[in-house]
Amino acid sequence: MDGCRSGVPTYEGDLHVVAAAHHIVKALGATKNLSDDLRKILIDLDSHLSMITSNIDSKGGRGLVDVEERLDQAERKIMRWETDPMMIWDSGPKEASDYLEAVDETGKLVDGLRGLSVHENRKQKEILHRAMNIFQTAMSRLEEELIHILVRHGQQFEPKNMYSRSIRKDIVYDESFVSVEDEPTKETSSQNCSNDESGECIVDLVHADVIPDIKSIAKVMFTSNYGPEFCEAFISVQKEALEQYFSFLGTENLSIEDVLKMEWTCLSSKMNKWTWSMKIIVRVYLASEKQLCDQVLGGLGSVSSYCFLEISKATILCLLNFGEAVAMGPHRPEKLLRLLDMYETLADLLRDIDTLFSEEAGSFIQLQFHELLERLGESAIAAFKAFRVAISSNGSLYPFAGGGVHPLNKYVMNYIRMFPEYWNTLNLLLKNQHPGVADQVTKPDYGPDTSLLTSCPMAYHLRSITSCLESNLHKKSQLYKDEALQHIFLMNNIHYLVQKVKGSELRLFFGDEWIRKHNAMFQQHAMNYERATWSSVVSFLKDNNPGSSSMSKSTFKERCKGFSIAFEEVYKTQTSWSIPDPQLREDLRISTSLKVVLAYRTFLGRNLAYTDDKCVKHTVEHVENSLLDLFGGSSRSLRNSRRW
Amino acid sequence: MPATDYQASFLGRISIRRNQVIAMDGNHEQELQDLELFSKHVSERFAELLSSPDDIPFDALLSISWLRKLLDFFLCCEAEFKGILMMGNDPSQISKPPLDRLIPEFLDRSVKALDVCNAVTNGLESVRHYQKLAEIVVSALEQKPIGDGQSRRAKKALTSLMSAMNVDDKECSAAKATERSWSFSRRGVSSKDRVPEHFRSVSNQVAKNWSAAKQIQAMTNNLVPPRGAEGSGLASPVYTMSVIMVFVMWALVAAIPCQERNGLSAIHFPAPKQLNWAQSIIGLHEKIGEEWKKKEKKGTAGLLDEMQKMEKLGNILMDFTDSFQFHGDITDQKAEEAAARAAELAETCRRMEEGLLPLQMQIREVFHRIVKTRTELLNALDQVGKSSPPLL
Repeated sequence: MDGCRSGVPTYEGDLHVVAAAHHIVKALGATKNLSDDLRKILIDLDSHLSMITSNIDSKGGRGLVDVEERLDQAERKIMRWETDPMMIWDSGPKEASDYLEAVDETGKLVDGLRGLSVHENRKQKEILHRAMNIFQTAMSRLEEELIHILVRHGQQFEPKNMYSRSIRKDIVYDESFVSVEDEPTKETSSQNCSNDESGECIVDLVHADVIPDIKSIAKVMFTSNYGPEFCEAFISVQKEALEQYFSFLGTENLSIEDVLKMEWTCLSSKMNKWTWSMKIIVRVYLASEKQLCDQVLGGLGSVSSYCFLEISKATILCLLNFGEAVAMGPHRPEKLLRLLDMYETLADLLRDIDTLFSEEAGSFIQLQFHELLERLGESAIAAFKAFRVAISSNGSLYPFAGGGVHPLNKYVMNYIRMFPEYWNTLNLLLKNQHPGVADQVTKPDYGPDTSLLTSCPMAYHLRSITSCLESNLHKKSQLYKDEALQHIFLMNNIHYLVQKVKGSELRLFFGDEWIRKHNAMFQQHAMNYERATWSSVVSFLKDNNPGSSSMSKSTFKERCKGFSIAFEEVYKTQTSWSIPDPQLREDLRISTSLKVVLAYRTFLGRNLAYTDDKCVKHTVEHVENSLLDLFGGSSRSLRNSRRW
Repeated sequence: MPATDYQASFLGRISIRRNQVIAMDGNHEQELQDLELFSKHVSERFAELLSSPDDIPFDALLSISWLRKLLDFFLCCEAEFKGILMMGNDPSQISKPPLDRLIPEFLDRSVKALDVCNAVTNGLESVRHYQKLAEIVVSALEQKPIGDGQSRRAKKALTSLMSAMNVDDKECSAAKATERSWSFSRRGVSSKDRVPEHFRSVSNQVAKNWSAAKQIQAMTNNLVPPRGAEGSGLASPVYTMSVIMVFVMWALVAAIPCQERNGLSAIHFPAPKQLNWAQSIIGLHEKIGEEWKKKEKKGTAGLLDEMQKMEKLGNILMDFTDSFQFHGDITDQKAEEAAARAAELAETCRRMEEGLLPLQMQIREVFHRIVKTRTELLNALDQVGKSSPPLL
């Protein structure tokens, strides 16, 4: 169009050419099936040509009068809104399109007049300035209308509807190894919500009905060279909306110092919230924002991605900084699962981030995400190592009363029960960690049972953790003076370990061979217990000369007394011991019963002659019943059964 | 390098040697050489920063390119510092007095510096915003002929620009942040070009009630030059690096809009003049401090050279657009002058366009570097802790 502007005809001949061109343009414009672009070009050309003509005429002033009339008309349409309390786009589509038409007309007049103004013509210059003034008013107004539309039709969405908040365990683990009871962990395995979260979910941040309005404003402002103003307004409204949403999610800005000082329970819930907000912000909000930018600013080159970056950058950096702060913090074992949550979330979002910020300007953000992912991975591994160290170094000065399941064991097993949920991530992170970790640890030489799962890095590390735990438990068992209680303690704890493995997905990683081996282990301890406790007791009942029919009365008396004292002693101590698992308790009682009661019955049966004697303190039934009291966890003492 | 620097570091060498004459062995010899080299490099680098000429706009004190050089030097010093501290022959040294106290203090300072980095990154977002507004001013005034419409367009952008700079400088960000909303009623406002009230966004905050000035003040806690025999050991580079870190953060905060900068000029860190490496830092501190005092009197936006220029030009152009509106037209001479100013503003914008993003990335690099060193130091401390017999 520049050619038209510069070509100001100076003599008659040109006037004819212009007139001819004008006719052609008019004729072309009348054709029905023109593309919109072509039609627009023709209309522009038409207006330029009429401008040229009017300028040529303007020696008599008639052409300019024409231009002035057109400007007056447009001005009336534009200026009337300056005193109207209503917003134009609120008043109706007709008003809006009238306004845009007037703006368009003014724009054309400005362009046309500017093309001519090389010639010093006061009147002409005056009209140009007036037109430009009106045009500025209109542009300023459009900016305001834009802000108004964005604010009025901006839509909030409930995060609840987007994702069910991951309730993957809200137990807070702390470093004290204070017992974490078993109940709450029950439903963890079923709560894998990562599948339904992978679907993309885009909402309309601004009502779909007004998108064409925004687009029409964008179009006018950008073609009039007011693009920067459009971007300014668009970015500030959308940026603020994002920030509002951000605080609506309950996320607040925290300094790194604050995060590092934060108490674990508080930090844990913040980490949880971060994971959740990150997903919603990136996958829903930013994806939707990106769509809005593309819808509105699509055909304008890099403008759309520029606006998107400006809108989202501050919030993204804020989220990233929290991640950095968390990754920097002390690598406590209890942080591991939350760190893995964060890591997985981020890893999962990387593809989205790479798409959202694919343009060169966004590579900074991309890079920051990748850096944070790496940092979180390192931090998770460090926490993992700290977990192992914490298990090995958990020391006790006193034996654990009753020989039951030690809290450390409960803590560790309930904690690692959740690892299978993260096994992909853990495998990835642990892959490079092999050499550093204890070599003395059980190698999976379990013959044929080397399925993929039992030989993956996580399985290796899991076994390394439990073997750490086992050796710690062995150490703790040494604190008992009573050998029998050492065995009860180890039996209980290894049984617990096996049960936990068997009852969860852990069994896939530990494998059947490991389970068999550990079953055998706690059974061995049960046998050792029996031997340690009962061999000496039962030895009173043994017949030293199997050849002779019966023993002397005095021997019988002595044996009987010895047995009673020993039995009562065992009863007194071992009723205070505990076997928390009812099945295990039952099994051990039965097998003890079999051994002791049988021996006692035989002993008495063989010496029927003396059984009336007072020296038989306990009846067989009494012994049998008394055995049921063992391992109940509270000390009791036997009275003379005769009084029962 | 000027001869005086040689002399200075020579004197430094003597003083170090004198204190260290006892217990001198091979390792110490090496360590001393490293320490000497470190403080020599520090003093050279900061001397270069101090001597940067004010009249060359590119490298002027507190210009974008000057800040980038400052950060470059910071990264260099930091790398050398880490080398000295970690590559030493006796890693257990870091857990022995006085380092067992100085290193945790240093790490604490590092964490504080990270928050400053974030605050400055946020501040640069504001500066980017000013740049965009200034670009509108330029694009309005570039058009020929300049008329009332263009002048109004420029004035509108200028008003936004000046008020944005002022809000950022009012240092009351927290209060401002929550109040604003777009629901201003346009009706009843008579001005033809309403300027939407500038808002300080929430995400530009490091945290509620956070203060850059207080943060830097806190970084100077326990920051005292090592005395006596300590002065010759590893305590001295820890001190040097701390001073550098505090200074760099202080300069960044002085230059770039930041959350809560009240009292920044009151901060002084005890860098004794007799330490030769400290002289240039002290010089810079004084120079920037004076600028800051002038600024507090005038109420301008921050010491970043480009921003000061922008503000000055903004004021001139504001006058120009005002007079345009009063008189309806202007003389050619005035128009020419305005065009020249607009061209200067365009040049400033161009420099911002070129430099701001790299500066932002560099600050992020500094951030990551501080994190990394902190992690390595913590690991080293952990390692040393493990090899010593357990308490139980």
